[in-house]
Amino acid sequence: MIEIEGLTKAYRSRIAVDDLTVTVEPGRVTGLLGPHGSGKTTTMRCILGLTRPTAGTATVLGRPYRKLAQPMRRVGALIDPRARHGGRTAYAHLRVLAESNAVPLRRVDEVIELVGIGPVAHERVRGFSLGMGQRLGLAAALLGDPDVLVLDEPVNGLDPEGIRWMRELLRDLADEGRTVLVASHLMSEMEATADHLVVLGQGRLLADLPMIDLLGRHAAVRVRSPQASLLARALERAGAAVDYEPDGSLWVEGMDVIEVGDVAYLSGLRVHELTQVTASLESAYLALTEDAREYQAVPL
Amino acid sequence: MRGKVPFRAVVRSEWSKLRSVRATWWCSAVYLLTVGGAGWLAAAGTDTAPRADVAISTALTGFGVGQLVLVVLGVLAVTTEFSSGMALVSLAAVPRRTRLLVAKTLVVAVWCALLTVLLVVVCALAARTQIAVPGGMSMRNPDVLRALGLQVGAAALTGVLAVGLGAVLRSTAGALGAGLALVMLLPPALALSGGWWQVRLSQALPALRVGEDAFLAAATTWQVGMAVIAAWAVAAWVLGAVLLERRDV
Repeated sequence: MIEIEGLTKAYRSRIAVDDLTVTVEPGRVTGLLGPHGSGKTTTMRCILGLTRPTAGTATVLGRPYRKLAQPMRRVGALIDPRARHGGRTAYAHLRVLAESNAVPLRRVDEVIELVGIGPVAHERVRGFSLGMGQRLGLAAALLGDPDVLVLDEPVNGLDPEGIRWMRELLRDLADEGRTVLVASHLMSEMEATADHLVVLGQGRLLADLPMIDLLGRHAAVRVRSPQASLLARALERAGAAVDYEPDGSLWVEGMDVIEVGDVAYLSGLRVHELTQVTASLESAYLALTEDAREYQAVPL
Repeated sequence: MRGKVPFRAVVRSEWSKLRSVRATWWCSAVYLLTVGGAGWLAAAGTDTAPRADVAISTALTGFGVGQLVLVVLGVLAVTTEFSSGMALVSLAAVPRRTRLLVAKTLVVAVWCALLTVLLVVVCALAARTQIAVPGGMSMRNPDVLRALGLQVGAAALTGVLAVGLGAVLRSTAGALGAGLALVMLLPPALALSGGWWQVRLSQALPALRVGEDAFLAAATTWQVGMAVIAAWAVAAWVLGAVLLERRDV
């Protein structure tokens, strides 16, 4: 569990995080979403005690990160895949970190296998690709078998197979009851991975809600019927909001496909098409952050 | 909750850090070769010396420039953490920052001292075998032992000074420049300019060669020399620790 209260970080010229209060619960993958410069990384750095907040607090498992007795056994972090000394081998890098928290060295071999960097474990990390760096960074985060994971853009630079692997891994970690916080600006990835969303814009909290709720807000059912007006009336009587589409089909909000189908059946009306229309996270997110985008693209 | 991580674990990690980069081995090799080589050559070129401590002093000449390598070693141990971004990971792993700096300093200082112990033995052997001293040269001579001990102590303090400079300045170029100026350029430059104040100032800077026979810098007694380098090392280190605690990474 990560608790952030009134977190504010002001730099000389701008406010990176502005009075952010949010709780990240265990047992699910929480996506931290926002455009570039919205305060995602600063928030994560404050959680990890790397950056000192101007005001407010961030605690992990009830304590400030800097007061944790065994930080790597509590929290695994991946802030920057390039954060490593290029002259060390992957094994030496992980060994240094394991030793600093008295984690047994056999765990180094375990995480190397787990993230699949076995073949290059004894090569200097200078030549590692971004994707390899991500795997190494994740190995470091998992060294202490932590209860909480804080990962900044972990799929950046991974190939499709790696992205899928990362998604399943995060899913498993959350299912084991751990707290998983993942920052990303990749919508499709978030949609496939996160259960819960925390959306930031210009350092402020824009939304803190389950993924389903955000997508559900923009969900609808499209239904096509030769008796459209009769069906519309039946649906409205049953409590749905109904609109006519240009092609004559009905746009129904407030009901799912089963309910719409049942209403049609009970009213004895024929149905030619019945489709659940989900908003993509991207469109839902864009609607949410429209006003908050700091760097607007100039319309052509 | 299990107990907190023991300090020796952090020290072990810092030792692994130091020995897993090539720079450490390059610096150590250059240090051993320059100081040992210079000492042996100086001894070989000197036939006789009036006293044992003069003979040993000749053989220790190489430390005058050689210890500069220890400045490089100590500075790199800190600044490469910041230049590579490793500091993010290191400080997330050990968020008690002063603890991390103490462990790193300990490892660097002990490594500097160990290399120097090896070197003073080589230099003493060179003096003993190459330079004729009336009455012979006993290794138990207190003047000889003091000269050797001072080099070891000064080497450890140089390591501490370098780590401190690295923590204050964070950039390799900046910290190396400052270190070079403090221990290598300013002391002789001021001493050679000759004014009273300049000479006093030169004596108050941590020149590498501790003792009466300061390398090109204004000479001091060994007590003053050690006090000066210790004061600089402590001051730089404390400032480095305070800044490390305060600043964001």
